[in-house]
Amino acid sequence: MNEKAEKKSFLKNPSVQAIMTSLICIILGLLIGYIVLLLINPAGAGEAIKTVLINFLSRSSQAAKVKALGNTLAKTAPLLMCALSICFCYKVGLFNIGAAGQYEAGACFGLYAALAWQLPWPVCLLIAGIAGGVIGAISGVLKAYRNVNEVISGIMLNWIMLYMSNTLLAKVKDPASPYTLKLSAANPKALIPNAGLNAMFANNKTVTLAIPLAILFAILIWVILSKTKFGYELKATGYNKDAAMYAGMKEKQNIIVTLAIGGALAGIGAAFLFLTGYQEWSTTQTSVPGMGFNGIAATFLGGLHPIGTIFSSFFIQSITDGGALIDKSVYPSQISDLISSLIIYLCGFVLFFKFVINNWIDKSTKKKEISKVTGEAIEGGDK
Amino acid sequence: MDTAYAIEMVNITKRFPGIIANDNITLQLRKGEIHALLGENGAGKSTLMSVLFGLYQAEEGVIKKDGKEVKINNPNDANDLGIGMVHQHFKLVQCFTVLENIILGVETTKNGVLQMDEAREKVIALSEKYGLQVDPDAKIEDITVGMQQRTEILKMLYRDNEILIFDEPTAVLTPQEIDELMIIMKNLAAEGKSILFITHKLNEIKEVADRVSVLRRGKYIGTVDVATTSKEEMSKMMVGRDVQMSVDKEPSKPGESILKVENMTVASKLHSNNAVKNVSFEVREGEIVCIAGIDGNGQTELVYGLAGFEPLVDGKITLCGEDITKTSIRHRATHGMSHIPEDRHKHGLVLDYPLEFNMVLQRYFEPDFTSGAGFLKRKEIREYSEKLEAEHDVRSGQGPITIARAMSGGNQQKAIIAREVDKEHKLLVAVQPTRGLDVGAIEGVHRNLIAERDNGRAVLLVSLELEEVMNVPDRILVMYEGELVGELDPKKTTVEELGLYMAGAKRNLTVDANTSEIEESEVVDVERERKEEA
Amino acid sequence: MLLLLQYTLIFASVLCLVALGGCFSEHSGVINLGLEGIMVMGALGGAVTMYLLPGDGSKLVIVLATSLAAILVGMLYSCLLAVASINFKADQTLIGTAMNLLATAAATVFVRAMNTAGNPDNVSSTIQYIQEKRAFLKYIGGFEFNWFMLMAVVLLVVSYFVLYKTKFGLRLQACGENPQAADSVGINVYKMRWAGVLISGFLGGLGGIVYITAGVSEWKFEMGVAGFGFLALAVMIFGQWRPTKIALAALLFGMFRALSNVYTGIGFLAALHIPSTVYNMLPYIISLIVLAFTSKNSRAPKAEGIPYDKGMR
Repeated sequence: MNEKAEKKSFLKNPSVQAIMTSLICIILGLLIGYIVLLLINPAGAGEAIKTVLINFLSRSSQAAKVKALGNTLAKTAPLLMCALSICFCYKVGLFNIGAAGQYEAGACFGLYAALAWQLPWPVCLLIAGIAGGVIGAISGVLKAYRNVNEVISGIMLNWIMLYMSNTLLAKVKDPASPYTLKLSAANPKALIPNAGLNAMFANNKTVTLAIPLAILFAILIWVILSKTKFGYELKATGYNKDAAMYAGMKEKQNIIVTLAIGGALAGIGAAFLFLTGYQEWSTTQTSVPGMGFNGIAATFLGGLHPIGTIFSSFFIQSITDGGALIDKSVYPSQISDLISSLIIYLCGFVLFFKFVINNWIDKSTKKKEISKVTGEAIEGGDK
Repeated sequence: MDTAYAIEMVNITKRFPGIIANDNITLQLRKGEIHALLGENGAGKSTLMSVLFGLYQAEEGVIKKDGKEVKINNPNDANDLGIGMVHQHFKLVQCFTVLENIILGVETTKNGVLQMDEAREKVIALSEKYGLQVDPDAKIEDITVGMQQRTEILKMLYRDNEILIFDEPTAVLTPQEIDELMIIMKNLAAEGKSILFITHKLNEIKEVADRVSVLRRGKYIGTVDVATTSKEEMSKMMVGRDVQMSVDKEPSKPGESILKVENMTVASKLHSNNAVKNVSFEVREGEIVCIAGIDGNGQTELVYGLAGFEPLVDGKITLCGEDITKTSIRHRATHGMSHIPEDRHKHGLVLDYPLEFNMVLQRYFEPDFTSGAGFLKRKEIREYSEKLEAEHDVRSGQGPITIARAMSGGNQQKAIIAREVDKEHKLLVAVQPTRGLDVGAIEGVHRNLIAERDNGRAVLLVSLELEEVMNVPDRILVMYEGELVGELDPKKTTVEELGLYMAGAKRNLTVDANTSEIEESEVVDVERERKEEA
Repeated sequence: MLLLLQYTLIFASVLCLVALGGCFSEHSGVINLGLEGIMVMGALGGAVTMYLLPGDGSKLVIVLATSLAAILVGMLYSCLLAVASINFKADQTLIGTAMNLLATAAATVFVRAMNTAGNPDNVSSTIQYIQEKRAFLKYIGGFEFNWFMLMAVVLLVVSYFVLYKTKFGLRLQACGENPQAADSVGINVYKMRWAGVLISGFLGGLGGIVYITAGVSEWKFEMGVAGFGFLALAVMIFGQWRPTKIALAALLFGMFRALSNVYTGIGFLAALHIPSTVYNMLPYIISLIVLAFTSKNSRAPKAEGIPYDKGMR
């Protein structure tokens, strides 16, 4: 095989293409963000977009840098879990927009278990996972037995769980503020242990076992999807549920199990944030937390691959944190929300980008090579 | 220059990636004639008509109307030129009324408000003139297929179309409805309409067409007068060789009963009646039993009931002596039933999976392919796939890792057959196994079915193709409106007789849905007769 | 009680407008999950217009200019959905979600930049329109009538008429039910779907400005529109994609929303001590239950959510 053909097959490789399209989305998103910054104030726009991009690296001291990195990682863990939830369900043909609601359920019951029942962290984590799983399973049952689209039921459950969390967590909130009680004071044993990881990040207490656990979950999901009989069934159901039925797979059961697993992942994700003491739940919030939706961004940017989502989650979280570091008297920090939502929007064009890339490859190879007639003829009458 | 042509397509070439669908084709339609366009599946008929109708644009060639060159870029242009088409799959909005469907796109309005009364009068007048009975205010989802087709014809007439294209209009009709359609077409031609009639049924061409143009594999073969050309000659033009009108096989040697169906009743998804009513039959090892009938008479539901896709309303299924009435799809598949499904894209394959994963679709859970811990044995799956591909001559671009979607229809079907035949089974249910395949592939499938029979399997074939029904099976059961109305011996019966059964005009199995006891004894009688014969 | 009626009517107006918007989009075959975002952008357009207009100007000018701005911005924003889902065949759920996130982020960035440009110390994302808002109101006794209520009723009637009595409505629905059929009779499916989405931008944008002027005189854009777009989606489903039923569903769900705001002022409801979150939750729970029992024979347009490709037949 000559060099040209090798290059072609490299560019035709699905993983390479997924990475390329993700990069296109990122670059275009950043470009538009940069233009917006230019429009607001041209003088500092370059500096600001740089800050958004490099995030923690823009801090002055080494200690501040690693500490900020620690914060970003601490928030990447829950984001990754939400992304995994969505990614896993998407592979089975389900759009788990309800990850946000499952995340709320995890936060609600995980925190309630920690604060009201004073349970230790592994139990709280489990409860959060179960709570998320139950909410996911509700969507699954409605889909399997009542033909309710999981997107619609997911949206409804997002709002139901928001108000339910506000109601329930109001019982364990700080009397002086709308926030729930601080875990470090109310029940320190519900905090996920640092296991020495904090030492690596300038003693950042929010760096906990949650981070390696989230990565382990990503690998686990990848193994399940690509190596096991269970994954074979789930993907077959996602690609073609009629064929899955024909092959004797239990479609209804698979839908419910998938959404339950997805829900559990999102629920544990919430515990990975709220059980680190990073932040408290505000019982007066009126909108669904963005974590579940950012998870959609990470899923698609990660090329719908569990391992890819590790990197994309970190990237999304990093630019979000970077946004908070820019000069607030000149630029709004929501510029990073703007960029990440633009990236999600652009992810909708992934198929088109791939088409453009493939076209470009075909053209450039055709010029130099005599195109061989491929033997595979498509029968005209066969659709 | 002869301008007696209503429309001419001259030297049309249309390419798709990897295939030339129409290669330099010329078609000339005279005014007031019925002109048949004959060709097998995939010969390029539909593509050519799509070019004429403006759905595709040809790379080369011109279209002339009354001798003048015209450009047809979209269906609107076609309509402006007076060209109308009844598509094979009706283009009707299910939740609209007949009237709404007819006027869609050419609505009469006054100050922006739809004027339905005017349109209704015109439709009623047209339907009376040409004998097209419809209820203008019935919803499409509530009316019969025949009436839906009449709605499509009225759509063309409402637009004052002069050139009418019928794309395989008889495939979905009963023989009676076909007869009516033939009369309607003759009426239309008598009124001066020019008709293009796409089909692969020679009898229909003989009956109504004046001339016929033949396509084969995207190429133009020729145009001949129907009156002076025999069916055999036309058929030769269509397939490029003599059609083998019979399939070589030994007489069957039926053994023990494998499949026994008693009083099976299956509900319909389309209407409140049952799709399958009180059906009883038996398939023994070493014989091929064919369920014949016009599409939509309950065959699909019958198979769904057999395979376990749909629960039975009533009845009992016995497979190899085991009552499987209430068992799961998986149980049936692992206890002796192989199933070549009607729709290979919907049920038969996971199109986005590689070929190797499709080859184990019914077996992936077996210890051969999945370890005790639940991990797939990729190496074994690969080897198994390669073995089946070699044995059944399944051709694909990249072997086991070819995505099933990228394979041709014939090879997709071969893969499914390989999978179902290689799996351990006593009964093979093959539903329209040759649909959409070319002649060579069809022969291969038929050989497969007969080999199955000769290996002692019971084969249940469900077919709509008369030629297949007459040649492949050892026994024919005719299904009409959800009931089995006749049992025929393919060696003794004729196509004409079969047609009468399929149309519900004749029956030798009396089934009374209200009194199942009588019906049962009748069936038993027939079975006894058959055993005595054998 | 009067307050309850007033809030119910104004919330119902919002929900009715936005749900009708969703209804047009879905009847053309495009699922519009971005209604929330379209509302935010409409609200932004209207609020900025009010901010720029002199508060003591003609009431008619204020009402018209504000509504028009909201409508225009809403329609402009809906183009994002139309381009992606109709021309590029993108996943409509993904695009809708992106649009919701994008709208809140973009509106916040815009308002902040605008505020900071006016006064370097002002980094809030709030726009005030105390005086201008009065232009929308007319007091009838103790009842605060809002011109938007009338607008909603008029647009409801117009929507019904357009959908069921005109050529446009017939063609639009054909595109949502069977685009191949529509195409075969020469209807341009892409154009009709664009029209459907643009109308949803029109009504969604208007709904946005109605929402942020209901009861309050300033709006913090960081909050988005607090799920009203999703509530409207629930109204549309509950209303089975039909304008008349949508109006009734809007009234019911509007009442729940109103209750959560004013129940403390109503003796017997206050005595029940049901937290406001329950009233907020109820519409979603009801929708979910209704869905569970009606989805099997849903009247949802058959081809919704499926990108139309001319080449595929």
